[in-house]
Parts: sequence; structure tokens; C-alpha cells
Amino acid sequence: MRRLWAWGAFLLGLLYFVLPLVGMTEFSLKMRRGEYSFDAYAKVLGDPRFQETFSYSVVMALFTIAFGVLLVVPTAYWVRLKVPRARPWIEFVTLLPLVIPAIVIVFGYIRLYNTSSWLPLTGSATGTNVLLMFGYATLALPYMYRAVDTGLRTIDVATLTEAAQSLGAGWGTILARVILPNVLVAVLSGAFLTFAIVIGEFTMAALLNRPAFGPYMQLLGANRAYEPAALAVISFSITWLCMGLIQIVSRLAPKPPSQPN
Amino acid sequence: MSESFLSIRSVRKSFGATTVVQDFNLDVAPGEFVSFLGPSGCGKTTVLRMVAGFETPTSGAIVVAGKDVTRLRPNQRNIGMVFQSYALFPNLTVAQNVGFGLKVAGMGKADIDARVKEMLALIKLPEFGDRYPYQLSGGQQQRVALARALAPKPKLLLLDEPLSALDAKVRVSLRDEIRLIQKNLGITTIFVTHDQEEALSISDRIVVMYGGKAEQVGAPFEIYNRPQTRFVANFVGTLNVLEGTVSDAAAGKVALAAGEITLPGRLDGARNGEAVSLALRPEAISLGEKAGADTRLAGQIADVHFLGSVIRVKVAVGDNVVSLDTFNSPSAPPPEIGQPTGISFAASDLLLLR
Ligand SMILES: Nc1ncnc2c1ncn2[C@@H]1O[C@H](COP(=O)(O)OP(=O)(O)OP(=O)(O)O)[C@@H](O)[C@H]1O
Ligand SMILES: [Mg+2]
Repeated sequence: MRRLWAWGAFLLGLLYFVLPLVGMTEFSLKMRRGEYSFDAYAKVLGDPRFQETFSYSVVMALFTIAFGVLLVVPTAYWVRLKVPRARPWIEFVTLLPLVIPAIVIVFGYIRLYNTSSWLPLTGSATGTNVLLMFGYATLALPYMYRAVDTGLRTIDVATLTEAAQSLGAGWGTILARVILPNVLVAVLSGAFLTFAIVIGEFTMAALLNRPAFGPYMQLLGANRAYEPAALAVISFSITWLCMGLIQIVSRLAPKPPSQPN
Repeated sequence: MSESFLSIRSVRKSFGATTVVQDFNLDVAPGEFVSFLGPSGCGKTTVLRMVAGFETPTSGAIVVAGKDVTRLRPNQRNIGMVFQSYALFPNLTVAQNVGFGLKVAGMGKADIDARVKEMLALIKLPEFGDRYPYQLSGGQQQRVALARALAPKPKLLLLDEPLSALDAKVRVSLRDEIRLIQKNLGITTIFVTHDQEEALSISDRIVVMYGGKAEQVGAPFEIYNRPQTRFVANFVGTLNVLEGTVSDAAAGKVALAAGEITLPGRLDGARNGEAVSLALRPEAISLGEKAGADTRLAGQIADVHFLGSVIRVKVAVGDNVVSLDTFNSPSAPPPEIGQPTGISFAASDLLLLR
């Protein structure tokens, strides 16, 4: 009886989540009257603006990931090693992007870095791209930091650092050869989350007026019938692919940490 | 002692207001194996970490091979370190772990491979190069950690309770192996432990520490047989204490509840009537009459523990209970509780604790 209820609840949840997806997918296949076809997908994928915006966002995502890793891994490592008392504060700061809406952040950016400011980043396309990348990194910060910090918890950071130091290693070597490889799985899952966030982000890209994938989806959605559904399915698959990759990567993680006790 | 290779000079270390190491002095000869022995929290690890460079002394100096290293960073000291928790790099294979220090030093690949092979042979794990740390037992991991520390030919080897995480059998075999390797390489070594048997069995010298201070420094035989402070006497080995009062200082006589003991020439400076404690190791006491004994006391069997090859007997002597060991003999059953008996020992074996 209890099992029955459990299955019932599960089924209800499944319907709630899956039904809209099924409906959307079905609709996206109905561009040709009277039969299913991939016409909408072909149209979307063949659209040069799709290709442009999508590759723009992918490149932005890669830069954001690189920046995030370079920022978060040394920071989280240093905090754990040298100032463990500051961990709650750092954690609080990294959570701020979840409570401060992106629109607030981006308006702050525009105020601070507009063309008549001391650092006119918005004055050029490159400057705006850099600004957008910082914005994305901020949005991804809670996920990236958490992932890396959790990864660091699985190794004995202090002792491994001392072991490496006694063997002559400096900070760069320790980070690159001891710390990073041991939190790689965590870093990768943070990276895939960052990727998913950047690909779907709308507010920042729109307000900074960059040709990203998010604003393109919105534009298409406002003007077409079948293509937006196809686009939604595509972007949904990308997100799911990222989640799947996180799973695979953590499954492939070869070595459990070798600490006693 | 020959000239010292490691010299710890008047080192003090405070964390905030608490001083955990005070006025610590030690000179270690080249190739010497020195153990730090003491109870938990006495500052053993802190001294070791200052030698390694992980902590900076509040005052004092540390000199290695004639060079003051007090302010040198740990990665510039060329000192090998072995940790209680092994601390192998989990992402690297055994061979990569052992070669880590060599690679950091910029050694060529062929040379690294040769040295790693040599080190794996030294620790008797020649076939284990491709394994990862998690595929090894604790004892094997610790041997790899030893090889990793020794591979770059460090000036000093520091071991912080390297055997504490291992089970008893491995602990004994690995400690002998460490000592053997250390002797063969002739590397100056400091070994931290709170296990007295470990320290007594493998050290050239032992530093007994208590409350951040070196209580006594000496060879195991000296530490065990001639402890200079009450703490050392009690901490190292089992000790029987007989409480008495000086009855005739000039003649060296001490009155106990169970009789009188004469300690010729050992009570100089004592006052008559002063309370003294006399201590004896269990193995210095015999049940009944023993050849060479010059002191006898009457007592009563208080307890008998049959331990197999050894029988530990407790004898009530006056107000004191002393433990002594006799060997098991199949033809003679152990004594019975309550049976009156005598004990004998040589007065020169008595330790005077004041
Ligand atoms: N970083 C630190 N900050 C404050 N106090 C410390 C620090 N490191 C050690 N101590 C204190 O110094 C004292 C000595 O510590 P230490 O680790 O040297 O002891 P130990 O002899 O190695 O003990 P154990 O046998 O338990 O390892 C302890 O009271 C400890 O609390
Ligand atoms: Mg310790």
C-alpha cells in the first residue's frame, strides 16, 4: 500500500515535469502540416544568427570557466589552509549572487564602468565582453565555490601541502600538481554547471547588448511559432547533457582519497 | 660526541599567550637516530615542525650542517618528512609519488626512473610502482612515504609518529625496517613517538619531553636505568616506588615500613627525617633469595597475573605494593595469594627520586 502511494507520487511528479516537455517537443515537430518533421530544427540550426549567438555563448562560457577555476581553486584552497575561520564569511559572499538579482548586478556594472567612468569597459566590445564574463563568473560563483570546496574536503589539504613543501615544491607546483588534480572532478562539475548557466543566461547579455544565445532565444520566441519550441528543446538538451557529463565524470573519478581514519 | 649536524639552540615557541616549547636545546650528530618521546601535547610535533620549517620559532635558532635555517622556507630546506597519515598524493601512482621531489628538483626522466626503482627496491615494493596509494595497505603506504621522503637525498629525515596508524605487528616490523634503512643510508633522523618501547628499541638517543621541555636526553639504556627526574622515571617503563624517610644520612640509611635499606654514599646532602622515594624496575627484584642481592624485605603475595612466559607477581611490602616478574616454569606452579614471601634486590639498582 505504501509502495503504491510512493509510486503514485512519483508518477504525479513525472507528469508535472515531463508532460510540458513532451508537449513542447511534440509541438516542435509539427511545423509541416499533418506529419511530424524536423523542419523547425533545420530552420533553427540553419539560421546564421543561431550559429553566431550560440558560438559566442560557448566561447564566453569557456572563458568564464577558465576565469572561475583560476579564481575559485586558489581562493578556496587558501581559505582552507590558512584562514579556516574565514570560511563562513567566504561562503556567505559566494552565496550573494543567489540573493542579488542579475539585473541589479548588471545595472551596478553599467553605472561603475560606463563610458564616462574611470574604467570605461562598456566603451568597447571587448571591454563589454570582459564585463559580461565577470558577470557570468559572479552568477556561477555559488556553484563553482561549493563544488571546489566540497572537493577539497575529501583530501587532507594541510598535510598534503606540507608533504609537497618538504619535497621542495612551491605554491604553483602544489596547486597544479597536488591540489587541482585531486579536485578535478569537483572542478569539472562546477564547469558544466557554469556552462549551462552561461548558455541560458538572458538578463546580463541583453542589458549589456551582447549577441548571446539567451537574448536570441527570447527574440525568436517573440516572433515565431514552431522554432522557439525547437530551440527550447535544443537548449534543454544542452543543459541535460551537461548534467549527464557531471554524472559521468564523477563516476569515472578513478581514485578515492587515501586518508586513514 | 662528534660535531653536531643538527643543532637546535634555545628554541622557544608560543602560540599567542601559551608557550608550548620552552628553551629547547639539542645537538644531533651526523647519522644519529634521535627519538622524541613524551605524552600527548608535550610539544614533540611542534619542535619537529620547526625543524621542518612549518612553524617559525618565537626565539632561538635551528642550524643544519652549519647553516642557520631558522628563517628558511620549508621547500628550501631539503628535509625529508614522513607523516602519521602517510600523506601520499592520491592522484599519483606509487612511482610518481616517490619521484615527486626529484621532478620538482628538475631531474631528468631517466634519472628519476632509475632513482625511483632504487627506492622501491629499498622498501621492498619493487613491483608496486604502477599502483595508486588506495591500492596499498597502511604499512605499504607508509613505506612508500618513506621512499618518497628519502628519494631526493635529504639532509635530515623527520618522522612524526609514522607507525601510530598501523596495527601492532606491522608496527614492529616496519620500525625495524626504518631503523635498518636509516643505518644503511647513514641519514640523520628524528623520530617522534609516544610509545616508549618504540623509542627504546630503535634510538641512538632519546629526548624525553614534558610540558615543552626536554626532561632528559640520553641513550635508551641511560634513560631507562638512570632517569634523572621523577617524570622520566615514571613515564619510561614500569616502576615500583617505596616511600621512606632518611634515618641516617651519613650512613646512607633509609627507613621503610618494612625494614631498613642502606644506600652507601647516595644520600649526601639529605637531612635526617627527609621523605624520599626509592624506585625499582620490576626486573631488578627477585622473589625469595637472589644471588648478588644485598637487600632483603619481607612481604606477602598480593596478586598474581599469569601472562604466559612471564608471571607478574605483586608483593605487599609494608605500605607499598611492588610488582616483579618471574619466568614461568612448567614444574613449579605460581605462588598463591596471601602466602608470605621475601623479596631481594641490589641496593645499587635503586633509583632515588626526590
Ligand atoms: N597551531 C597551533 N596553535 C595553537 N596551539 C597549538 C598549535 N599547534 C600546537 N599547539 C599546542 O601546542 C601543544 C603541543 O602540541 P604538539 O602537537 O607539539 O604536541 P605533541 O607532543 O606532538 O602531542 P601528540 O603526541 O598528541 O601529537 C599542544 O598543547 C597544542 O594544543
Ligand atoms: Mg604530535
